[in-house]
Amino acid sequence: MTTPATAAPRVLAEARRPGPDLPGPPPPLPGFTPAGLAPLIADTADRCLRAHHGPPPAPGRTALLLASASGDLATARAIDRSAEPGHRPAPLLFFQSNPNAVLGHIAARWGLTGPVAAISPAEAVPGTVPVDAYELAALLLADGDADHVLVIAAEQGPDGDHAVAALLTGPVG
Amino acid sequence: MTATGTSAPTHRPATHRPAAPRPAAPRPVAPAARPVITGVGVLSAAGRGLAALTEAAAHGKAAFTEVARFDVSGRRTTQAALLPGTVPLASTFPLARAVLEAIGQAGRQAGLTAAEGAGMPVLLALHSDERTRATADAVAAGVRAHWGAPGVTRVYTGACVAAATAVADAAALVAAGRHERVLVAAGHLVEPGVFAVFDAGRALARDGELRPFSTGRTGTLLGDAAVAVLVESAPAAERRSAPALARLAGWGRAGDAHHVCRPEPDGAGVARAIEAALGRAGIAPEQVGYVNANGTGSDLADRAEATALRTVFGPHTEQLPVSSSKSVHGHALEASALLELAVTVGALESGLTPVNAGWLGPDPDVRLDLVLDGPHTARPDYALTLNSAFGGANTALLLAAA
Repeated sequence: MTTPATAAPRVLAEARRPGPDLPGPPPPLPGFTPAGLAPLIADTADRCLRAHHGPPPAPGRTALLLASASGDLATARAIDRSAEPGHRPAPLLFFQSNPNAVLGHIAARWGLTGPVAAISPAEAVPGTVPVDAYELAALLLADGDADHVLVIAAEQGPDGDHAVAALLTGPVG
Repeated sequence: MTATGTSAPTHRPATHRPAAPRPAAPRPVAPAARPVITGVGVLSAAGRGLAALTEAAAHGKAAFTEVARFDVSGRRTTQAALLPGTVPLASTFPLARAVLEAIGQAGRQAGLTAAEGAGMPVLLALHSDERTRATADAVAAGVRAHWGAPGVTRVYTGACVAAATAVADAAALVAAGRHERVLVAAGHLVEPGVFAVFDAGRALARDGELRPFSTGRTGTLLGDAAVAVLVESAPAAERRSAPALARLAGWGRAGDAHHVCRPEPDGAGVARAIEAALGRAGIAPEQVGYVNANGTGSDLADRAEATALRTVFGPHTEQLPVSSSKSVHGHALEASALLELAVTVGALESGLTPVNAGWLGPDPDVRLDLVLDGPHTARPDYALTLNSAFGGANTALLLAAA
């Protein structure tokens, strides 16, 4: 037996990169490799939160949900190469060894105390929030551990890196 | 896991200390909708099945050995808890096949048929790398062929809380009446790249022993695990005459809002996750009789978790048995939370409390009632299993005896 999904959340703000007015790469993020997705994720999240809240911190309980089908390929490859003969593992790669690290940066900067989650959807269109991520955000909101969910969808691919962030809250009524 | 901080990067810590909003108390789950666990499957360094894991945890039999799967000659640490020779890895898709074997154990224990598995969501926790999708696809093919499930519904990659997040979502889906049953699975095999960067980041125990909450602890040790848990609504399980192994009485998750990888020193995020789990169950802290702690063996993280436990449980902490079974089976990263949920189910079923192995002596900053020897018999009504991860992610899963 299944029953229909919970009502769709409301979108409070969105941001994306690249975009019509943001063609270039994001600013570097100290502590993270420039080739990875973290700078793009942090920049897109920052602009989305700023669009709704103004400067940090964000009030209330905001969950963070990162969705990436590709994953951070550049960082994953660097970690795999660390074990190859002749390579010396970089200690900083430890801190980037999973998708949560950049979410911790965003949470600390904005004071986000909701759940922190990361998923790898089966399908993703770069620059678009996957349906899977919307559904999980709706579940998080309905379950009551967060008042808002910041969803960030980020992809690395042959035509470059793309990220979109959407700040969501529960449906009206 | 959260980091020891011995070589933390230059990320800025919290520029805005959160006001630490207390969670709006989650509504207690209606009794009729409460999820139960009807099947557990596990492959771990203790061997095949939950009984072997329960026995190893109850006796504090640490399973760490010299890593021979790949070259560790250049590493500071050379130990990990690997699947034993009696559980050989497949030559192709080893992780997916291990996960499918765990799913098979859980499905058979629950008496699940392919007809009952039709439409069942499958939530899978895996490490994020270039092999994630291929592993998920292989697991999807297996659950379609053997259990009638449509495939893998969602892949969770959120580090050491990935599997606990999946369990919380499964519980939420069942409690809300969205699905009668949800299969949660997770897998992690110790592999050379992650081992190398954990070693380089000085996260691994230099002395080859994982000593949670102990004086002289020097870090964590990695472990293999493939685990599956069937979460089902109590009425649906009763209709199938499937015995409940434990009730999933509550769940909670909260963020530290503190740092990329270091825990919030007071454990405020852990405390809020526990309070949310207790709130959903509608019970008082004093009703909890055992805690399977995250306890990675890291200096800062263990101290923060202990502080969180003392904050939530107050004077009850003095009589609250706590252990980290990672000291026996190692840290299985994305699969760790499901492995430790299995340990906790085994503890409730068997009445044998998992031992906190590797202990050298008390840390004055910890002050917990650690389970230091075994086998120790207890029959708690409620047991809590905790996990924390990079990004300040914290989860609490509350089990009740069936």
